[in-house]
Amino acid sequence: MTRTGGALGPTAPAGTWHDPGALRALRTLHRSGKLAAEYGAVRGLLARMPPADLPAAGQLLSRVDPRTVRRHAPDVAVVAVAVTGHSTVAPVVAPLTAELARHGLLLEARVAPYGAYLQDLMRPPAEGLPQVTLCLLDAHTVFDDVTVPWRVEDVESAARARLALLGGAVRAHQEAGRGLLVLNTVPLLRRFTHQLIDLRSRARLGAVWREFNCGLLALAERYPGVVTVDLDPLVGEGVPACEPRTAQYARARLSDALLAACARETAHVVRASLGRGRKVLVLDLDGTLWGGVLGEAGPDGVELGAGLRGEAFQEFQRVVAQLGSQGVLLAVSSKNDEALVREALRGHPAMLLREDSFVRVNANWKAKHDNLRDIADRLGLGLDGFVFADDSLFECGLVAERLPEVAVVRVDDEPALHPSALLADGWFDLFELTEADLARAARYRTEALREEFREDVGSYEEYLEGLGIEVTLRPPGEADLARVSQLTLRTNQFHLATERLEVPRVADWLERPGRHVIAVRARDRFGDHGLVGALFLRRDGGLLRIDNFVLSCRVFSRGIEGGCVAAVLDFARSTGADAVTGRYLPSPRNAAFASFYSDHGFTVLDRDPDAADGKHGKHAVHFRHDLATRVPAPAHLRLDAAFGPFDAPRNGQGEQS
Amino acid sequence: MTTVLADTTDFRTLLGEELGLHIGADDLDRPLADFPDWDSVLLLRMVTVVEAATGRRVAVADLLQARTFRQLYEAVAGR
Repeated sequence: MTRTGGALGPTAPAGTWHDPGALRALRTLHRSGKLAAEYGAVRGLLARMPPADLPAAGQLLSRVDPRTVRRHAPDVAVVAVAVTGHSTVAPVVAPLTAELARHGLLLEARVAPYGAYLQDLMRPPAEGLPQVTLCLLDAHTVFDDVTVPWRVEDVESAARARLALLGGAVRAHQEAGRGLLVLNTVPLLRRFTHQLIDLRSRARLGAVWREFNCGLLALAERYPGVVTVDLDPLVGEGVPACEPRTAQYARARLSDALLAACARETAHVVRASLGRGRKVLVLDLDGTLWGGVLGEAGPDGVELGAGLRGEAFQEFQRVVAQLGSQGVLLAVSSKNDEALVREALRGHPAMLLREDSFVRVNANWKAKHDNLRDIADRLGLGLDGFVFADDSLFECGLVAERLPEVAVVRVDDEPALHPSALLADGWFDLFELTEADLARAARYRTEALREEFREDVGSYEEYLEGLGIEVTLRPPGEADLARVSQLTLRTNQFHLATERLEVPRVADWLERPGRHVIAVRARDRFGDHGLVGALFLRRDGGLLRIDNFVLSCRVFSRGIEGGCVAAVLDFARSTGADAVTGRYLPSPRNAAFASFYSDHGFTVLDRDPDAADGKHGKHAVHFRHDLATRVPAPAHLRLDAAFGPFDAPRNGQGEQS
Repeated sequence: MTTVLADTTDFRTLLGEELGLHIGADDLDRPLADFPDWDSVLLLRMVTVVEAATGRRVAVADLLQARTFRQLYEAVAGR
């Protein structure tokens, strides 16, 4: 088999994908009382667990006190979720615990009493705000307001009234700044439609019900902090919407299976809100993007386009291309001859994905985990942003074992099932698509041109000189808010005080007096990088504080970060500040920039200048620049900074210095 | 399918494995109120789990009225 060619070690975990032993191992941990102490092993066990075992895992995990887990694993990321809804909602806690744990998140759930959702949403903000509110709705959200005998008109007015109430409650929740709110659309049950015996009314009920659901979906369009999980596609895949006995006797109106599916989607939303969405999809070729073995069949002989299976592979390529068109970076890791692969990508008439669809094609005989590392290095992205899809049990198992941070999607020998396998976990879900997403792949390709240019010039300084980098700093316009928010949500490395801000919170920063958000744009002779960074500034008497500074990893090491600091110092000086402070809050991924401020002329403060207000992390390191010396912007930059309407543009600082 | 839940030991194993609730043989006749970990959510989950394991329908209304684990067992075993 060419696909598994190369050196296979005797420890290769072939056959371990979807391991029925994983649940056994979890049960043993639970039985011996070690689940909290060994919580670090849970994510790996869940990754290997067949989906059918997850509900049982959720039951075990939800019986462990999150406080005990935190004592044993202080670094685990905790998500506080207030669970509320129209009926009995507690059964969602166990599946939600398991689904969040799959993404390395620990659930701290607070379950509201029966039917308390309107009060819960409208309640004034309290201390210890939950990060997320999950509000589960069901058919009784409408039908509780309808009495027998009823006509469609009665359901219509009940649905309208309920939607209006809910709309008001959602507005109150969002205006109070109470964080992310997850709602759901409500499946219409046959037990209601078929109580109407005339088909005309039954059709009208269907229409009325969809209007109600449209209203729920529209709430998510109106408020950036609201997500409505559409349950229709889940029910459409055969998940039963309701279990009549538990609905009747326990008021648990959504079935166990639907709650589990809804919990899965909710976990993806939470993951996106924490900036943990994936950015890169690395694909195998033989058996994944086409059928057959390229090395044996030759570039024209692979199964693609023609024939039943050939069409299925082409359909899968359509799905991959669609993801690629929205900014997911596509790459190839294939055990194959590079020349043959290039020939197939360029020449096969049925290929939808072409050579330039991929930001990187690694076709060689090295181990796939080494190839994934290589791709990550060349793109300058962390492996925790990667998804790897392969049909080989062996390759999937090996990558999962060697690179546990990579999400592994195993497609099997049935290509018609490839799309659902790839899409099962919403790996790439994000809140809003920005211009930067749409242009991302093209930007990474121009990066390859920069690389070539870099190889042609003598020194790195010459390279930077030759790039002709232009940097612009401006307050963001309305249209830029989504991108600024996205930078805070998705950037991990150059993110000096990692603070995730959804769009409304960025807008709030902009509106408050004495605060500035500054968007950083960059371009060079090869193209426009777009909006690549943001500074969050705050006036505090004579101090200008840099509360946070985020810069896309696309533009590291080009002096842009230094240029930004020089511009802030100039701005502080010209607006009468005595000093500028900077703040670094360590995160698992930003250690490389711990000394960023001291490298740029700031001194480390021995105490927290914000200690009095107690708002800032106690682990933060604070820095101060007293403005006595001028810090020049790197000379190779053309810098254009204007921080506010009162701040006249000052061009060419880099050239002046 | 009748081998599943043949006796209360099977039932206790199922409670432990599927619900994370470890019940001793001596606990079968104690009031459910003595078990702070036992709640209606676990009971609902138990319906799903027992029906999947045995292929038999469980009388949910009877379960809701049970006062001890033995009575729960009798309800799920159809006795």
